[in-house]
Amino acid sequence: MNYQFNWSVLWSGQTGGWLLQGLLTTLQISLLGWLLAVALGIVSGALRTVPFPPLRWLATFYVEFFRNVPLLVWMFFWYFGVPPLLPEAVRNWLFDHGVEFWAGLCALGVYHGARFSEVIRSGIQSIPKTQFEAAISTGLTVAQSYRLIIIPIALRLIVPPATNESLNLLKNSSVALTIGVAELTFQTRQIETYTAKAFEALAAGTIVYLILCLSIAALMARVEKRFAIPGMIAQGTGD
Amino acid sequence: MKNFIWLCAVIVALAAGATSARGQSTLEKIDKSGVLVIGTRTGSPPFAYVNKNNEWVGFSIDLVEQAIIPVLNKKLNKTIKVEKKESAPATRIPLLTSNAVDLIAETMTDTQARRDSVDFSITFFATGAQFLVRKGSPIKGIQTIANRRIAAQQGSTNAKIVRERVPNAKLVEFPDQPAAFQALAQKQVDAYTNDGIQLAGLRAKAPKPDEWAVVGEFFSYEPYGMAMRRNDSDFRQVVNVGLMDAISSGLYLTIYDKWFGIKGEVPYLLAPETKRFLEMQVVPK
Repeated sequence: MNYQFNWSVLWSGQTGGWLLQGLLTTLQISLLGWLLAVALGIVSGALRTVPFPPLRWLATFYVEFFRNVPLLVWMFFWYFGVPPLLPEAVRNWLFDHGVEFWAGLCALGVYHGARFSEVIRSGIQSIPKTQFEAAISTGLTVAQSYRLIIIPIALRLIVPPATNESLNLLKNSSVALTIGVAELTFQTRQIETYTAKAFEALAAGTIVYLILCLSIAALMARVEKRFAIPGMIAQGTGD
Repeated sequence: MKNFIWLCAVIVALAAGATSARGQSTLEKIDKSGVLVIGTRTGSPPFAYVNKNNEWVGFSIDLVEQAIIPVLNKKLNKTIKVEKKESAPATRIPLLTSNAVDLIAETMTDTQARRDSVDFSITFFATGAQFLVRKGSPIKGIQTIANRRIAAQQGSTNAKIVRERVPNAKLVEFPDQPAAFQALAQKQVDAYTNDGIQLAGLRAKAPKPDEWAVVGEFFSYEPYGMAMRRNDSDFRQVVNVGLMDAISSGLYLTIYDKWFGIKGEVPYLLAPETKRFLEMQVVPK
């Protein structure tokens, strides 16, 4: 083919530093986004199963609204749509402190929160109803039985699908480049700009994503094994 | 783990095979398919954009259809059709090298680094980077952008220059022009930098052109060329002859006038020195 590969562009000059910066940004936005998503997911996933209809409706609305609109649209919404609604002082502060990052974080966290919610709900609903009834009959309130009995069990049951969602979240963080967040994919494009070596840059990005995702999968396999509930789920089948 | 390494090896081998197995020249490919596939833009008026009637048109596209196609038809002795695909700064070189398109005809600046990866035609337009700002903005050029939020198009040469010359400007890069303009319109950024002619195009197409101004001296030199796969001189010759014939016959000026003339989409008169420069690229028959 009429293309000369030159892999040295990946470590000569500034490119190594850019890749590292991009990796850090990807990790930051993914980690914070993950925390937000898991928090929202646990709350709304639990609310979708409580015996109080208005709360269920509220949680259902959140899930269906946020997961059924493309992530890209949410990126634009949080970046272009939300700041004009904020008070002047808050807006100026955001503009001085990387509004792109925070908008991308909200988009990622809230969107994946809706998806996590379904994972959590399926975990809760897989717990026999008698467990909840037993908790109530010991004198716990509904909130207490969720907090002390139902959620802890559900969280241990859902490790495999939650791993899947977490990996999706990490990879979806690349969508944030559309609003100018300088994450990993953004930096691979940057390298392409400076060196016109697109294949090398994309290959580098691919490998970094692959290593990241494999590490997370391995970590989650250990978590799964460590926290498996004997008798309720097959002991970790991680490898 | 061992299986996994094997899998990776197979994928890499397949990818390498898929990209290296094609030995045919661009002219052979076009001859066989009867189609010249060009990569072009959808949001860069007036070079290549989708107009009000939903037609994909522009100056660069006209140059291909009116200047290059006749030469190609004559060379291959048949009628060749043009097929347009969307390209963007980050995708145009992979599009070419993967054979998805044969020619990039949009607003691509010819640079030495890019010449390592692709070949360029003669220059068909020359411009330089400026700033698009809200009228009355304190930004007057590259000297006045320190600590300002500046939007740029990712993958453009201007972003690179701003980063090098004014490191304390807060550069925000967007993948395409509409997003960058949206950010400017919403006051997310204080200015948008791109090639002057593109900013003029954007301004002319804005809902209220009078609210915007293109400011500053050119802080870069941006010669536009059409890009194609490397080491394919026969095809490059066709493209260059097409452009040179258009410049010497006056066809270029007719097309220029259609898009950049007083009644054109984006009035932008051809500077005498630019005209002279274009003419001097034409070598004798």
